[in-house]
Amino acid sequence: MGIKKVMVCDDDRGILDLIELIMEDAGFSVISEINSLNAISRIEKEKPDLLILDIWMPVLSGDQVLKSIKDSSSIVNLPVIMYSASTEGEVIAKAAGADDYIAKPFDLDELIGKVNKWMV
Amino acid sequence: MDTKNIKYTPLSEQRFIDPAILASVLDATNTGVVITDNLLPDNPIIYCNAAFEEMCGYDHDEIIGHNCRFLQDKDRSQESRFKIAQAIKDGENCVVEIRNYTKDGRLFHNELYLSPVKDAAGNVTHFIGIQNDVSLRKKAEQTLQMNFKEIERQVIDRTRMLKESEEYLSSIVETIRESLLVMDKDYTVLSANNHFLNTFKVSINDTKGKLLYDLGNGQWNIPELRLMMEEILPTNNPVLDYEVEHEFPHIGRKLMLLNAHRVELEGQFKDRILLAIEDITERKAVEQRKDDFLSIASHELKTPLTTVVGYVQMMQRLMPENSSEKFRSVVEKTGTYVARLNQLLKELMDVSRIQSGNIELHMDYFDFDKMVRETIDGLQTAAPGHRIVVKGKPVHQCYGDESNLVQVINNLISNAIKYSPDSKEVEIHISRVSSFIKFSVRDYGLGIKEDDLKKVFERFYRVGDIQKNYPGMGIGLYICDQIIKNHKGTLWVESELGEGSVFSFTLPVNPDKKAAYGD
Repeated sequence: MGIKKVMVCDDDRGILDLIELIMEDAGFSVISEINSLNAISRIEKEKPDLLILDIWMPVLSGDQVLKSIKDSSSIVNLPVIMYSASTEGEVIAKAAGADDYIAKPFDLDELIGKVNKWMV
Repeated sequence: MDTKNIKYTPLSEQRFIDPAILASVLDATNTGVVITDNLLPDNPIIYCNAAFEEMCGYDHDEIIGHNCRFLQDKDRSQESRFKIAQAIKDGENCVVEIRNYTKDGRLFHNELYLSPVKDAAGNVTHFIGIQNDVSLRKKAEQTLQMNFKEIERQVIDRTRMLKESEEYLSSIVETIRESLLVMDKDYTVLSANNHFLNTFKVSINDTKGKLLYDLGNGQWNIPELRLMMEEILPTNNPVLDYEVEHEFPHIGRKLMLLNAHRVELEGQFKDRILLAIEDITERKAVEQRKDDFLSIASHELKTPLTTVVGYVQMMQRLMPENSSEKFRSVVEKTGTYVARLNQLLKELMDVSRIQSGNIELHMDYFDFDKMVRETIDGLQTAAPGHRIVVKGKPVHQCYGDESNLVQVINNLISNAIKYSPDSKEVEIHISRVSSFIKFSVRDYGLGIKEDDLKKVFERFYRVGDIQKNYPGMGIGLYICDQIIKNHKGTLWVESELGEGSVFSFTLPVNPDKKAAYGD
């Protein structure tokens, strides 16, 4: 098997860069997307093995992106880990059908642990 | 008196009464009698009776031959004297009140009746003076007069004071930035201040004499308010801080704070109701903006902080094997302070959530003893200087939001450690009290002043002299209190300055599940 591919979608450049750094350090290849409107087409094109998805994003929020993924016939079995800084985040993530949730600010090992857990 | 029994003596017989008898008669009366001879120069006194001697204090011998004026001593310019002079000149009767002086100089008021005695030719030969000392009466009259004047003065004074106090009151009522209505026992409006009229854009005619519940569009006709208002007079229970949100005619949707009390002014009125109405729409909006600000600011800070926390962790991870101790220490310290910043921000966000009532409790059954044990384990590692001792009996199952309760216990024990730097032990006590779980943390540290005891649970409250040496925002205990309240329990503190503190909370073992989600 080759190197696993993780995609990160967040509207904040700092977080995006950080997760990219963490994932690369953990041995994954990383695609990052700052515009949630492009998320679906990027997923379809890049076919990542796992998606790390922010909840609070302008225009199209994380739970809306996840809904499109669920509705999409071309994207199947993509594990999604959502995160947010707000406490309601976990409830929203579960309701939207995310596989896992992590609260901001996250602990490095916790994040890597969750990614490894869900990586098919 | 029975007039039929009086026997009148015919005048003809009187003329023959012995002068000695007449003299005795005159001496027997207590009315002073003087006779002057007006045919002699300077009208000397030729007769006076005993009562006159008694009245003026002079002896018979000192009186006879003198003109009456000695009685006025030096008080010569009295108007009465001119009346007397005129009467004598004209040979007529006169009655005057004159100030006379006794031999030893004492003033007495003499009511004097003067009558001329004329001969057959009609010439005045004598004058008879009948005198009564009316000093007492005069004095009583004067006292009465003075009393009357005093009373008059008091009435004027009181009226002025009343007017002033009414003006004073009315100026307060009119100046106050709160709408005021006074009603009688039937809720008919007796008066309304200008602030009321201006606030609700109504005229006094729209208001005075109307029933409270008929005012406006029946805007105060709220069943709950009505019930409370109707309890005021019979029970004397005031309506306190009752909020009414309503679409008011003329002014739109407003949030009003109502307070109503029974008012009574002894002797003037009783059983009246004062209703104070405060428009708190603006204040609420400002509070809301402040809460919104807190919420937005803390959320906005969270994202860059998440990034910093992550990068610090990456720095530790990517640290080269051969890095200097100094560099490692710098990275580690950065981590510690970023963690503290993160904790503070988390607390701020908690406050913000509590303010907005956005606290969601995830209620479930969990093992309380285990939760306490695990929480203590974490704290014990972080504070090796203190021994955390657990006493009491296991309580097993508990129904509540575990992560919230962990936060409370963490906070209480951390405080106990933080504020007892010179002691070695923190004591935990767990027990079951009736249908409650009771949890207490005792420390042997600084203790809390009595004045501060209640306030430690207030938002952003910090005990003054603690501030310098112990950092914090004063929200930890506020959050704990809110969490325990949300669980329908109570949190309290007992403390002695210099002896230490005991923070305790109770949790109902089987709370009404619905109620626990409330608030």
